[in-house]
Parts: sequence; structure tokens; C-alpha cells
Amino acid sequence: MTKMMPSLVMIAVTTALVGCNQSETQDPKVTINKNPYPSTYQVLPSTKTIIKNATVLTGTGEKLENADVIMIDGKINAVGENLTADGATIIDAQGKWVTPGIIDVHSHLGVYPSPNAESHNDGNEMTNPITAEVWAEHSVWPQDPGFNRARAGGVTTMQILPGSANLIGGRGVTLKNVPSESMQAMKFPDAPYGLKMACGENPKSLYGSRSELPMTRMGNMAGYRQAFIEATEYKRAWDKYEADYAAGKNAVAPKRDLTLDTLKGVLEGEILIHNHCYKAEEMVMMIDLGKEFNYHSGTFHHAIEAYKIADTLAENGNCAAMWPDWWGFKLEAYDMVLENVAIVDAVKNSCAVVHSDSPVTIQRLNQESAKIMHNANASGFNYTEEQAISWITVNAAKSLGIADKTGSLSVGKNADVVIWNVNPFSVYAKAEQVFIDGAKVFDHQDTRYQAQSDFLLGQE
Amino acid sequence: MKKMTKSLLALSLASTLLGTSGLALADSFAITNATVHTATEQGVIQNAVVVVKDGVITSVVPATAGITYDVDNIIDAQGGIVTPGFIGSMNILGLVEVNAVTDSSDAWDKKADITFDPSFGYNPKASSIAFTRKGGITRNVVTSSGGEDIHSGQTFLVDLTGDWDSVKATSTGVFVSLGANHEGSRATSIQQLITQLEKGQKSLAKVSKDKKAKEDAPEPEAADEIVKSILSGEKPLIVSVDRASDILAILKLKQRFNVNLVLVGAADAVLISEQIAKANVPVIIDAMRNLPESFDSLHNDLSNAGKLHAAGVKVILSNMGDSHNIYNLRYSAGNAVANGMDYNAAIAALTVNVADTFNIDSGSIMVGKPADIVIWNGDPFEFSSHVVKMYIDGKEQSTQSRHDKLRERYTTPSDMPRGYTK
Repeated sequence: MTKMMPSLVMIAVTTALVGCNQSETQDPKVTINKNPYPSTYQVLPSTKTIIKNATVLTGTGEKLENADVIMIDGKINAVGENLTADGATIIDAQGKWVTPGIIDVHSHLGVYPSPNAESHNDGNEMTNPITAEVWAEHSVWPQDPGFNRARAGGVTTMQILPGSANLIGGRGVTLKNVPSESMQAMKFPDAPYGLKMACGENPKSLYGSRSELPMTRMGNMAGYRQAFIEATEYKRAWDKYEADYAAGKNAVAPKRDLTLDTLKGVLEGEILIHNHCYKAEEMVMMIDLGKEFNYHSGTFHHAIEAYKIADTLAENGNCAAMWPDWWGFKLEAYDMVLENVAIVDAVKNSCAVVHSDSPVTIQRLNQESAKIMHNANASGFNYTEEQAISWITVNAAKSLGIADKTGSLSVGKNADVVIWNVNPFSVYAKAEQVFIDGAKVFDHQDTRYQAQSDFLLGQE
Repeated sequence: MKKMTKSLLALSLASTLLGTSGLALADSFAITNATVHTATEQGVIQNAVVVVKDGVITSVVPATAGITYDVDNIIDAQGGIVTPGFIGSMNILGLVEVNAVTDSSDAWDKKADITFDPSFGYNPKASSIAFTRKGGITRNVVTSSGGEDIHSGQTFLVDLTGDWDSVKATSTGVFVSLGANHEGSRATSIQQLITQLEKGQKSLAKVSKDKKAKEDAPEPEAADEIVKSILSGEKPLIVSVDRASDILAILKLKQRFNVNLVLVGAADAVLISEQIAKANVPVIIDAMRNLPESFDSLHNDLSNAGKLHAAGVKVILSNMGDSHNIYNLRYSAGNAVANGMDYNAAIAALTVNVADTFNIDSGSIMVGKPADIVIWNGDPFEFSSHVVKMYIDGKEQSTQSRHDKLRERYTTPSDMPRGYTK
């Protein structure tokens, strides 16, 4: 410790000098690049297009019969009856249905890709209960054949998340579902980052088995709180640096910490919480945790017990992302009801989302929603297709913080569009054509628009 | 066909409207006004009447046939669809309450071998069983998840009544898992099976040649007895394997040992569908697999079920290994149809093909069969359809489970805490 003394004195002296000499030259300001792996996404070749005479589910709660959709320069230009667009490519969609592009808020495509192999297990950094420093985007293998399969199911946007082994598992990234050689070229421009957190059994059983914290649910809570205490101090230090520098002082920037950079982003509202959390009592505590540290508790994923606290979720502005029917694999997944999404959605100001967490069901989120709608209606609810489509479009976009850009067929939004052969809530429905930013990225009838992964090319 | 005696008038007097009766005992009844998928050579019968007495189907005819019958109840299907109860297979239903709660999970055992009989671990009150009935599933071929050996033990048959006596047959087949080997070479696994069958064959030959040897022979081990039952064709040898080269190796085994072979998984079977059809080997597949999950399954595709059927292979659809969401089986069939499978073949893949393969007396709507029947309000493969009524051995079954209780608790208005709502 004695060695520290002279430098401490030096700092004190420096501070004193700065304090009484406003004209002293400042060192270059230290700023953190918040976007070091920026999107290089380019819209695929597109033409002005009009889809004619379809049954259109707008994503905003409307169902339009015999309606047209015009896409120009990558945006929704108009939706309505008897529209015309000079020089546009015309798609006759008589008898077909049109919806916004499907959005999955919870995917591990690219980080747990196919084929499943040790070499590909890049989704869970299971070395510490707090790994806010890792970013899922750095694990994404763009050649995962699952991306192509998901596109054939109408998925245009998805959030790739780290796994749920850790209390704080790292950043998620929102991607556009276009074939690419790099992650950056899939990255959804200007989408906020997500932060994966996990309640319950996964973190406590993994670290508990190593006799480390957390071993219990109270250990889980202690772990999040400790992390956000540190993040709060870190933010305070940076805020002070910013303020001092702005005041003309030659302030010393705090030592950079990759883990706390991310948590600071949460505290500043730039990074949205995506919290794997099954149980009612845990979700309610996570809402309070957000209040304790002054950040919003975001979206609860796998929220199997969301129906027990639907009012609380709506009051606090939390989205709940849910499966239709997964249950029984863990005790925290025991109290499933088939009407979970329907009960959550029935509350005013709610945000009910249907997610996959699966390379299989991401291909059929329309069917997952159909199961919910019809099961709920058999139990006395009265959901329609125009309402149910919101679970996998506009509500999902809201959860990801991109509802101003995609998720509905509103004029001016990105032309992310799916044409279905029949009602997408039928088991026989197939996405026939898929558009991202007005560019055709999949065509059921045309192999030129059926991308294939490098991995599958030439396999016998 | 047995001629019915009483008049149609008596019938209509006894008529009960759909949905108004409680859970019926094994009374006699007739289902009228139904489109019946018989899963027999009779095919689909429009506006049919199905008569059930003492739990057995006694008549299946079009209403236009003008037969008369004397029954306790008339069930008007109101133009709905009637199918045989669907039959699940190769899953672990009833062996698990919660997978991660190891005390409630009895599907897996490290020491599982050819003698492992998981039926001793079956719980007819597992909460997943009532839930599975929502999918119109009336019977199920249960298997284990195995252990460290190539053998996962023996399959058994249950009905889905949830009654204490719902295990209907044990040791109905022998389940072996081959192919990709995490710890070593897949070759060793196939060699182990061959050696076992060779040993069994030699021992059988010796016994039949030498009567004295038979008398002197020590009591055979349980494992040897099971191998013999495979070699005699009494029990199917059910082999889980994905890669086409492995499937071909197993087809050779069938030829050599004349075993009653059933393939499970069979991701890349589509590459060699002609050989499989020629060998007359049924294939149990999960119609929803369409990712190259491993180098053994590069040709997984939603069209595979339809392609195998078209090539002449007897196809069974299954959600292999599942414990809780087997009710989704009918949606798998719908997806198979959406991707090219013949509709009636898909019905057969959930019913008569399973029954034929596993020697189950069920799976078709025909005279003499147990009345395992489901009435649907529409296409059973569609999300918009649900079970209106279902019967196992002619007894009506509920499709309610604790999930419905939970939903009711949380959707019933109350000033008191939910815990008081029961």
C-alpha cells in the first residue's frame, strides 16, 4: 500500500490545480464507441411492387378483404382497396393472405446452430453467473441452415440471445433474416441491444452444483443486485467524468469495464432487458429489481405463469413472450395453461408475444399462434386472426424496440411482408413469398429465391 | 354384418344431443351424422353410423344403408369427423412427471439394458396423460430413454384412460439405438447387436438339434429369452437410426436374421426409400424434423413423410421421446399433409399403421375392434378443430386436465385470493 501513496498525492495535487485553473489544457476526451461492430446491412435488389386482392392482416388489429399492398423503396407505401402503382410488379394474391413479416424475439439461431456439435456450442458463456460482457453477435454463424428454414416460415426479423445459464448472460442482437457471410450484414440498423437475464432454476442449479453463488433463488437476486450496484457506481463515475470534462476540467476517465459498459447501457435505457423468467413471483420481483436500480424490467421470456399476474405486467409496461404449450420439462414450467397468451393479451395495455426459443418452431410461429387462438376460443375467448397476428408481429417489434420500423403494414414502415397461400392460422398454411424491406427474399415456387447454406451445398 | 332389429323410431326417442350427457359408462351407443375415417379398406364413409356395444364396434355403415339398431344412446356428431383414436408411439408418456425433477423421472436409467422393463415405472395418474387426451390419443406405445447401452429395453402398450389397469401389454418390442456414437465408433454398436443375434441364433440351433441338450441346458437368462423372441419374430426389433448407410446395415441384419424390424428416426431414409419399401420395414418418423441436426440427418425435410409413403413405405408419425406434448401429434400429421403426404395415409400413420406394427387391437373403425373413437368438430389435423367426444373401449373419456383447472382459477373473478377458487 505504501507504494500507492505518492500517486494519490499526485492526483490530489492535479485535482487542486484543475480546480483553480479553468484554462488548463484538457486531455482528449475519452469516449466509448457504443457501436464497434456496426450494421453493414444492404437491402437486396427490389422493385416497386403491388400485391393485389389479398386478405390483409395489418398487424394493427385490422383485417382487410380484397386489399392491396404497395411497396416502394423498401417501405409500405399504401394499403387499401383498388390501389394502383405505375410500373409496379403486380402480384395477384387472390385467395391468399398477407401479413407483416414474422418477428421472433427469442432465437438462438447462429449461436446454437445446426448441425448441433461441440464446435457450435456458442450460446452460453457458462464461466461466471454475470457475463454482461459477452455479446451474442460475436457467436453468430451466419451459415446456420436454420436461418433459411425460418425465412421459409415467414420470419424476417429475430433477436438472437445468449442462453439462460447465467443470471446476466450477455447482449442479444436483432438481425434481419437475410443470407450473409457476416453477422454485421444481417444486423438490424439502429435496433437497440437486448440484455439477457435469467431467473430461476438454470443459473442456480448450474452454479449451485459448483458450490458457487447462486445456489438458491435468493442467491439469484443477490447476484443481480450486486451487479447493478456496481453498474450504478460505474455509471456515476462516468457521469461525473462527463460533467467534469464538460465543466472544462481535465478529468481522468474511469477505467473501462466491458461488463459494466453493458449494464450502464441498461441503466441509461439504451439496452432493453430480455429476462428468461417463468414464474409469477419471480417476475414480480424482477419488476421491483428494475425499480430499485431505476431501469425498466423489459420483456419476460418463457413467461409460463404470466397469466397469474397479467394485470401487474400490463400496469408496469412489461411484455410477456410465451410458448403456446411447452411445459413439464422443469418444475418452473409446470403450471402451463394453453390460454396463457390469451389471458395476458386480454388486459388493457398488455404486450403479449409468442416466441420460439427453437429452430423448429421459429419456422411456424403462425401455427404456434393458431394453437393459442383456437384453444383459447374453445375455452370462451373470442380472438380473431387480426388480433392474434400481433403476437408475432407488432407486439414482438415493441418488445425489441423496433416498432417504429417494422411489425405492421403501416405506411412508412419497412416493407417486411409475407404472402401466405391460405389463412396463416391453418395447419396447411405456407409462406409463399417473403419480403424484407420490399425485396423478395423467399419464394416458395421459385428456387432462385430459396437460399441454401454453404453447409448444405453439395452434401449427398 | 349382424343385422340390427329395432326400429329407427326407438332410436330417435333415445336420442341424446351431443354434449349434453356426462361421462358415459360402457353403454351401447350409436354415433350418427358423422364423416368416418375408418382407416380400413372402407376408407371414408360420409353420413355414417357407428354402433358400439359392450365397448366393441358392432356396425359401421352409411346412414343410407337403412339399418336399424337398438342402443342406449344416440350421439349426433352434427356432421363432424370421426376417427379411430390416435396411437402415440416411442415416447416416454407416464414415465415422467417433470423431467428435471429426477425423483419424478423414470424414463432413463444408466444401467438400462435389453431386459429393462420401464412399465414398472408407469404412472397412469401422471398429469401429462389427461393432457395428451386433448390430442385425441387413446393408446400409446411407451419406451424408455435408455441408458448407456445400445439397448433401451422393452416397449409397452397403455391405454390413455388413466385407470390403474391401463398398462395393456408389456415387453411388446425391443428398442435399440444405433448410429452416431459420442464416445466412440458407431461400428462397435452395430457389431454388438450382430454378435448378440448370432449368439442367440446358435443357441436356438443347438437346442433344436439336440433334445438332450435342451433338457440339460441351464435356465436361460432373461436377456437370452428376449433375443430369442426377436429372432422368432415374436417381438419387433425397433432400431433408432438416422444415417442412410446405417439404415442399410440394419436392413442387411433383417435379411440375415429374419427379424421383425421397425425403423425409428430414420432422418435420411428418404435416400433409400425403395430399399426400405422392398424390405417391408415400417418407419416411425417425426414429421416436424427438417434441420440438419447432425451429419446423420442432413436430409431431414418436412416432405419426407409423404415421400416415404409414396415410395411404398409403411409410415408411422410420432413425436419420439416426448413426454408432455404428445397431443401435438395431429398437427404433425397436418404438416405432413401440407408438405405432400396423402391425407388418408396420414390418418393411417396415426392409427392402423401403429396398430399393425405393434400388434395392437385398435386403430381402425371396423366391426369387432375396441371402440377407441374420437369425434372431432372438424378436420382433426387443424388447429380450429378439437375433440368433442372420445371413447376408449367404448367408455367416454374427459379431455380436461389440471391445466384447465388453473385457467379457470385465474379467469374466474373473485375478491378473495385465487387460492380460494377451486
